[in-house]
Amino acid sequence: MKRLLLVTTMLVMSNLSANELLIQNVRLLTTSFESGVIVDLRVEDGIITEIGADLAPSPGATFLDGENQPVTAGFIDSGTTIGLAEVSGLGVSRDGEQVDDDMTAGFQVYLALNEDSSLIPIASNDGITRGLIVPEAGDSNYAGQSALVRFTRGAAFLQQQTVAQHLYLREGDRRRAGGSRSSALAAALEALEESARYDQQPRAFNTNKNRSFNLDESDLVALSAVRRGKVPLVVQVDRAADIIKVVTAFGSYPALRLVLASATEAWKVAPLLKAGNIPVLINVMENLPQNFDRLGARLDQATLLAEAGVRFAFFSGSPYSETRSLSQAAGIAVAQGLSWQQAITAITAAPAEIWGLKGLGRIEVGAIADLVIWNGDPLEVTSAPVAVLIDGARVDLETRQDALAKRYVELLNLK
Amino acid sequence: MTKLWLLIVGVALSWAVCADYPSTYEPPPHAAFVLTHAIVDIGEGQGEFNGWVSVADGKIAAIGRMDEPTPGDALEINAGGRWLTPGVIDVHSHLGDYPSPGYRAHSDGNEATSPVTAEVWAEHSVWPQDPQFPLALAGGVTTLQVLPGSANLFGGRSVVLKNIWSRTVQGMKFPGAPYGLKMACGENPKRVYGGRSQSPSTRMGNFAGYRKAWIDAQEYQKKWVRFEKALGEYELWRTSNEGESDYKEPPSPPKRNLQMETLVGVLKGEILVHNHCYRADEMAQIIDLSREFGYQVTAFHHAVEAYKIGDLLAANNICSAMWADWWQFKLESFDGIKENVAMVQAAGACAIVHSDSATGIQRLNQEAAKAMAAGQRLGLRVDASVALTWITRNAAQALGVADQTGTLAVGKMADMVLWSHPPMSVYARAETVFIDGVRRLDRAAGLSPVTDFELGQREEVF
Repeated sequence: MKRLLLVTTMLVMSNLSANELLIQNVRLLTTSFESGVIVDLRVEDGIITEIGADLAPSPGATFLDGENQPVTAGFIDSGTTIGLAEVSGLGVSRDGEQVDDDMTAGFQVYLALNEDSSLIPIASNDGITRGLIVPEAGDSNYAGQSALVRFTRGAAFLQQQTVAQHLYLREGDRRRAGGSRSSALAAALEALEESARYDQQPRAFNTNKNRSFNLDESDLVALSAVRRGKVPLVVQVDRAADIIKVVTAFGSYPALRLVLASATEAWKVAPLLKAGNIPVLINVMENLPQNFDRLGARLDQATLLAEAGVRFAFFSGSPYSETRSLSQAAGIAVAQGLSWQQAITAITAAPAEIWGLKGLGRIEVGAIADLVIWNGDPLEVTSAPVAVLIDGARVDLETRQDALAKRYVELLNLK
Repeated sequence: MTKLWLLIVGVALSWAVCADYPSTYEPPPHAAFVLTHAIVDIGEGQGEFNGWVSVADGKIAAIGRMDEPTPGDALEINAGGRWLTPGVIDVHSHLGDYPSPGYRAHSDGNEATSPVTAEVWAEHSVWPQDPQFPLALAGGVTTLQVLPGSANLFGGRSVVLKNIWSRTVQGMKFPGAPYGLKMACGENPKRVYGGRSQSPSTRMGNFAGYRKAWIDAQEYQKKWVRFEKALGEYELWRTSNEGESDYKEPPSPPKRNLQMETLVGVLKGEILVHNHCYRADEMAQIIDLSREFGYQVTAFHHAVEAYKIGDLLAANNICSAMWADWWQFKLESFDGIKENVAMVQAAGACAIVHSDSATGIQRLNQEAAKAMAAGQRLGLRVDASVALTWITRNAAQALGVADQTGTLAVGKMADMVLWSHPPMSVYARAETVFIDGVRRLDRAAGLSPVTDFELGQREEVF
């Protein structure tokens, strides 16, 4: 396994330009689409090494002229399922959940990813360069571990096998754990306790002398990492009353890094989240009171969280149109009162920080060159990338959809 | 002459069954006003101008440019250079039938108990207190069609609603709007019934099911024609003793069949066919089906592959209702492309952007904008004004209400939206929404409907 990973890494490295790429004449946005100055970006081995006006190229450098268009860091979707399903409605093509209750937290989506999926370039086509591929709850509320990917096809797709553990405690999730919110929360906490017992006497598990273990060893190892803060715990929870209980209960584990997702009513308990420095992942467009947990659903939730000083990032929660609409979601948040800069941050620097992705989400010297050059305001629905770079390498933006469009434009003589 | 009159009575009698459950909506009175200094796009795809619109008695009374004099006596509302468009129309919605909260107890959108349920009417499921209605209003939606779901070959009748808060669905019904019939192609019917080891379980099974139902409808129609003829003869004999009649007593009408009434309504051109159909090849076959039985398909909905047959759709005068970028969620949507809407437009066919979604309905303008931009990137000539017709005029045409709404024109309903930004911008919010001249949403004034469901537990959400 280790050897395979090493090969993968080397392949990725060989994709990177060993020489210099000089990106000329891009507008580095600051506080709005209208803001910023025209600069050049020097990229060496996938890293931004210099930012300034009229940089002198090194011998042998390649060039990319940004034609004074705006540039942003590549967007990061903090929750999608691209690579886990070619057609989400086709059960047989889905790999995002496990329905074997012998395995819960130990489930790892990275082993199921399809790095050749035709869906991948459709994400980068909309300026999304990285994403968290998140497991869905199957037979257990601990759904398992998410992976981080680059939206480029092939060996470089998988970036990180394990990013976070995912626990579901929304209205319908209690059916998997005793039928009550009380039992669902208790079961989630008991699993953590079990991982603590396992850490104290792992041999007892191996010799099967200790009957107190209900979980598989892979689950206990995974939960141990959560308990010890090695891997953040993302809890999908909506109702304010539940958020308070989740924050209180998991707060008793001092090292545990809690992240809330969906979190429809987080705005109602914003001071609690600010005090605990607990980040929140929200789906901007989900403003329907679809159940009694979500009565407080509203379109301006990001604005309320920002005003209260809560950290947040946006996620799409979907393998298809919502993923490509991540920038649209950010634009909607702006229309609802969020500042343009905060909206961009929620899909760049904020998720990078939440997931501990050093060098991503920012354009600065030393940062990874995940860059998107746009033909207009990056948050406008009418804008599109003209160039996308991942690790400093130009991504081919041609998709299967482009091929379809081209075929029928010609066949019907539409131009 | 008498004979003709009687024939009309007979036809009216059979049609009367379709005119039950009438609309009780009456726009409340309002003061006449003139909206000035607006960037007006009337919804005909001809661009915008700096102008004014005057409204009286719920109708548009006059439209002019700012350099033309406004009617003097009306109350002036200065739009301050904001953007005025016709009200947004969604031709494909399930609001009220699949409301929020979305519990099973509320899930009333699909009578998935038989492949042919043309007898059900979507309006009988609509919960007027669905909080999704005001959310759609906040997106500028003034008119919407609520359709039954797509599990069945014939899902039932649709209803066209005005997006106003009312205690009853009758109070929301668009007065005089024709009914629609929901039909469905492809995966859904064959999956739902095939999964129960019942027909249809294949696409060819779908077609056999359509054809059988239309044959039944033709037979039913004949029964009524025979009855009407006999009634005419009887009445003539009774009143004038002229001619001959086999009837010495009035003939009794055939037993009403609600399923057949809806299908016959289509054959008579009174009910419009809204056909859920993703794939181009299936749409082409549905066109042949409509020829076989002599009816017109008004619109293909979810027409993800309409771009492949824009010429055929134009030649057959069929609208395509489409998403901007939904794709991949099922196999029949796998060939979805962002350029779809613009390519249908470029082929000279009627293009519509629809939602089929309680979130999507809140931003049809943005969806139209996405589709427009994709077309422009491909080099097609579509501009913001053309894109606006996809969610206004063309949608009204597909609902059979284009003579009453869908564009800003003198004599039409004053269904209008005042936007904060150009309507094709993600930043555009519907700031004021007028329905029949009445302000139903006004953000500055804090005016928005609050449904009973929201009262006391969700009022703060605007």
